[in-house]
Amino acid sequence: MMNTFQFDTALLLVALPEIFLLSSIVVILLVDLFLTKGFKQVTYYLTQFSLFITGLLAFNLIGHPETVIFSNSFVLDNMASVFKVFMMGATMVAMVYSRHYLTQHSLFRGEYFVLVLLSVLGMMVMVSGYSLLTLYLGLEILSLSLYTLIAIARERSGAIEAALKYFVLGAIASGLLLYGMSMIYGISGSLNISEISAFASDANLGSRETLIINFGLVFLVIGIAFKLGAVPFHMWVPDVYQGSPTSVTMFLSTVPKIAAVAMLVRILIDGLGAMHPYWSDLFMVLALLSIALGSVVALMQTNIKRMLAYSTISHVGFIMLGFVTGVVTGYGAATFYVLVYVFMSLAAFGIIILLNKKGFEADQISDYKGLSKHSPWFALMMLIVILSMAGVPPMLGFYSKFFILQQLVSAGFVTIAIIAVVFAVISAYYYLQIIKSMYFEDSEKEIVVSAPMDMKLILSINAILILVIGLFPDFWMKLALSLF
Amino acid sequence: MENIYLTIALAPLLGAIIAGFFGGMLGRKATHTITILGVLVSTVLALYVFNHHVLEKGEIFNQNLYTWMQIGSLNISVGFLIDNLTSVMLVVVSFVSLMVHIYTIGYMDDDDGYTKFFSYISLFTFSMFMLVMSNNFMQLFFGWEAVGLVSYLLIGFWHHKESAVEANLKAFLVNRVGDFGFLLGIGLVLAFSGSLDYAEVFSSLDNTTNQQLWGLDLITVICLLLFVGAMGKSAQVPLHVWLPGSMEGPTPISALIHAATMVTAGIFMVSRMSPMFELSDVALTVVMVIGAITALFMGLLGIVQNDIKKVVAYSTLSQLGYMTVALGVSAYSVAIFHLMTHAFFKALLFLGAGSVIVAMHHEQDIRKMGGLRKKMPITYWTALVGTLALIGFPGFAGFYSKDMIIEAVHFSSLPYAEWVYYAVVAGVFITAFYSFRMFFLVFHGKSRVDHHTEEHLHESAPSITFPLIALAIPSAVIGYFTIDPMLFNGWLDNAITIDAEKHVSMTELSNIFHGAAAMIPHAVQTLPFWMMVGGIATAWVFSLYRTQWADWVQNKFHRTNYALESLYGFDRFNEIVFVGGIKKLGNLLWKVSDMGIIDKIAVNGSARLVGFIGSVVRPIQTGYVYHYAFFMIFSLLIILTWVLFAGDNPLLQIEF
Amino acid sequence: MTFDQILFYVFSFWFIASSLAMIFSRNAAKAVLFLILSFFSAASIWILLEAEFLAITLILVYVGAVMVLFLFVIKMLNIDKSTLRAKFAGYLPLGLIVAAIIIAEMTLVLGGNQFGLDVVAAPARHAADYSNITVLAMQLYTTYVYPFELAAVLLLIAIIAAITLVHRNELNRKKQSISEQVNVQAKDRVRLVSINSPNKENK
Repeated sequence: MMNTFQFDTALLLVALPEIFLLSSIVVILLVDLFLTKGFKQVTYYLTQFSLFITGLLAFNLIGHPETVIFSNSFVLDNMASVFKVFMMGATMVAMVYSRHYLTQHSLFRGEYFVLVLLSVLGMMVMVSGYSLLTLYLGLEILSLSLYTLIAIARERSGAIEAALKYFVLGAIASGLLLYGMSMIYGISGSLNISEISAFASDANLGSRETLIINFGLVFLVIGIAFKLGAVPFHMWVPDVYQGSPTSVTMFLSTVPKIAAVAMLVRILIDGLGAMHPYWSDLFMVLALLSIALGSVVALMQTNIKRMLAYSTISHVGFIMLGFVTGVVTGYGAATFYVLVYVFMSLAAFGIIILLNKKGFEADQISDYKGLSKHSPWFALMMLIVILSMAGVPPMLGFYSKFFILQQLVSAGFVTIAIIAVVFAVISAYYYLQIIKSMYFEDSEKEIVVSAPMDMKLILSINAILILVIGLFPDFWMKLALSLF
Repeated sequence: MENIYLTIALAPLLGAIIAGFFGGMLGRKATHTITILGVLVSTVLALYVFNHHVLEKGEIFNQNLYTWMQIGSLNISVGFLIDNLTSVMLVVVSFVSLMVHIYTIGYMDDDDGYTKFFSYISLFTFSMFMLVMSNNFMQLFFGWEAVGLVSYLLIGFWHHKESAVEANLKAFLVNRVGDFGFLLGIGLVLAFSGSLDYAEVFSSLDNTTNQQLWGLDLITVICLLLFVGAMGKSAQVPLHVWLPGSMEGPTPISALIHAATMVTAGIFMVSRMSPMFELSDVALTVVMVIGAITALFMGLLGIVQNDIKKVVAYSTLSQLGYMTVALGVSAYSVAIFHLMTHAFFKALLFLGAGSVIVAMHHEQDIRKMGGLRKKMPITYWTALVGTLALIGFPGFAGFYSKDMIIEAVHFSSLPYAEWVYYAVVAGVFITAFYSFRMFFLVFHGKSRVDHHTEEHLHESAPSITFPLIALAIPSAVIGYFTIDPMLFNGWLDNAITIDAEKHVSMTELSNIFHGAAAMIPHAVQTLPFWMMVGGIATAWVFSLYRTQWADWVQNKFHRTNYALESLYGFDRFNEIVFVGGIKKLGNLLWKVSDMGIIDKIAVNGSARLVGFIGSVVRPIQTGYVYHYAFFMIFSLLIILTWVLFAGDNPLLQIEF
Repeated sequence: MTFDQILFYVFSFWFIASSLAMIFSRNAAKAVLFLILSFFSAASIWILLEAEFLAITLILVYVGAVMVLFLFVIKMLNIDKSTLRAKFAGYLPLGLIVAAIIIAEMTLVLGGNQFGLDVVAAPARHAADYSNITVLAMQLYTTYVYPFELAAVLLLIAIIAAITLVHRNELNRKKQSISEQVNVQAKDRVRLVSINSPNKENK
């Protein structure tokens, strides 16, 4: 045993983004300690800088041949690199938006940024995880950081409660996930994704093995469904979205979804792809439930964060439907959907944050009354985002839905596609409520946009890109397809 | 030619962009000059294209201009298909749009949103061009959505009016239903043919033979779904509810969008898809029946309306029904023919109504008008032309197109065709009745205008009367000149496919057709003509000669009247079933998922509602997390049981 | 039945019994003690499985450190027993039914008929000089070095999280301000007040 271990430092280069990020986290943590009050912005800039460099390093690795290191527990392939680049980009945008919120609500603290970076690290680990163990550890790193991030606003009513709920339910979900992993390990004798895959796709797989793998599979699916927020494991989503500080809500509703999809791909497709007929039925049910519940319950909401939570649930349903198809292009469609979703969600929360003031959260739909008068530009941006979420062409959100539905129909799931479409129609109604209050209602209150220039700029670019990429979606769709 | 086509589409877009972004800077005059110039360019070029394709029998132009995206083997492009059908549509759209642009100068004169309005209608014109010029389903769908979007924007243009906002929402939601049917249809087209290009789809129609879906032939399902889209856009029963509401928008757009062009997009689309619809008699029958229902029953509603625009709106619904009937009996060219004549005379009627409304200081109730003939001679005479064309008075444009539809139904061999025949003939009476009722009430008889308005009553400005005259001319004569080439001499042949063996209407029609002039004397011997005369006479009796009879009838038949005035209860039905139902469902699901059903059902007693809205500061409630956790475990149990014992591949068979 | 087996069943029984007792005990301090008992039983089973190091660690870390800390916390906080129990009884029947079904299903899939000795061979005994710690250490620092590092990151987060959440704002921190101390003036520290005493009865 002692002789079998080889350690090639050159191979470590494929993990360079992670290594760099971890090192900068430690540095930022220490630097922040010694910063006096006036210099706290340094932490913010250091954070953005290290995210940028990490993204750059990850970008450099796109096109690198698939490599597995650390005794089969870390994989670098194109999906990992592209996801990492997207995650860095999305986090940077989220940080630009967050800064305004944090200063407004006196939450601007070094730990906030460090925890965000740590959660990003956890997500990177998940994206590159090639054994059940590392996937699990990545998930825990992510979750623990998120719990803390939510609770960081102790004075905020509901924040502690949200954190605690998320923590307790997340712990249960983790437990189930871990339990499922142990069953898979128990029957296949390995934690490694490729070995599990080899075991599961063995043509002579006995009925005992099939039984136990699928039993474990149920637990794994539940763990993943919880992370994605799919019905019936969605209970935490609205409460946590509403209770958390908006900047945290924005972060946790966007970037971790990419990581969750990555984990899904690693476990269910790379690892247990052979079991697709077994888990796809389950997925289909969860997906349809999510779409139905998300679309319908959102109608009743008056709180925009809560409404977006239900909207997320229905988006997640669409993403899961992509995996139901069982074909590579369907997976590509789901990946495209999640990236588009992140993009739209960032912009939507960006606008909520934009309208924040000290001691005031613009989180009621009625707070948007008359926005078109007070700030026609950002009303227009919100309009683009909302239309995109509703799936109105030519916004980006239309393509993601279209792509999924097209894949479903061509894979023969016509009825499923129709049900999804019916609920998409229903969901148009609640998106419309926001547009209605922005454009057709007047408010007695003055709405002042006090955000710094950089945020306004990035937010505008973010929203406009939803339209522009919608006009030229070809490249991004191809990119999503090329990952599988 | 490619550049000409592009210019047709882009000129109004350019106008819209300039008007939209720089309208405030440029001022009103420059804005309307630029947008009108853009549409004028399109109109001139459209005429040129018409000349090239239709009169000189030029080659069909079918080319992709730009590849939008490529998913696997699926190519989605921007491309133009210019054939005779497109050419006809281009002329109609551009001409009506031009007239409406000019009319707007006068109509919107005192409105704050003047430049914005010009931007919108130019944008609409562009979208409509893209829709009719498309050579693939995707672009068609985009044009479809874009015209819809502009339509919503314009319906809600006066958003300080509560009713306008509501109508706007209704239009949006109803159209979603249609659009998603349409989208599904497109999805199925994609599924069987692997392409979205018209030509490729039509050439792979053989793939669909003997394929079934939900107990119907695949092609039938596809056609029906596509027709659902057409029903939404062209306001066929039961998706018609949004069109009367859309009258809340300014009148020029009622003329342009909700009468002449956008609402006919469904008719255009079905004609375009004629190779597919020809394969399914079931779909054609549905189309025909829906059309007949719309034509007859929406016309009936026109009788009880008192808002001048609503009367014209219901007449539009009814006429769209006629077009749909024509589609159903495979007389696509007749449908397009009626589409064209209708575009002219209905735009004319709307603009005439608009002229009256402006003169009356935005009073729209016809019971408060009367005797306007002397005050507004130009409006009067042009409205007379429009009305005669609408009711199908021999010689006028509507006469030819409507008569041809009735005859085509007469020859159809589809099931229920005879019933539809009676419906469309009865429709003639109704059309004449409500049209002349409105006409008499507005222009003849004693003035019921209030004194203050009476003093200021005068003919509208030239920018309003010019379009009226310019539209009155085609409304009168276009039918006479185009019936022969359009229906029987192959103007539309290269765009429309008819299975002549199964669907004989067009062949039979051409057998009995002996020239446009010969139709006029012949008409006197036919039933529809006398129905029309009866309609006019009845209208005269009720609205001028013995007005008290109208009240008597209303009282005597109060039940019928109630049904009509409540619009057959469609709105109420929608309100209760869809809006109410979905809200209830939402409430229910919310209670189930959010408020702890476990508490209520499983553990009865502790029915403490756990608050949900965040403004209430809520202490951490263990019971609350408890619910969630329990719900998760319970779901686990359900899923485990399902996976083990149920589902398609149960893992454990229970042996007894 | 061999002696090993007897021991196994004894420890298993204690394990399950003490876990249940922990769940159902009304007193939080007692619950912790039962948890400690269940840890001991688990550690014993590990020893039977020849995993001495893990057994010792379990006792040292969990019993020796974590549980003692728990006890301190419980003794310091005044936990109201009645509120904790209020809803418990209501949920118990339903919870028991759900738990019973899940346990039944699990036994069906993971029980003896799937993992019994007739299906899976018993692992071979190690030689007497086999060192559990060496093997673990080798594995941990070679094959599993990446997960090991990740676990370290996890602990780092735990530290940051704990400090962030407990740490109050600056006002509550007691720290020296040297410049203030140096610049202090007598009038800042001492205030002389003249007190009128109206009556001197109390003398």
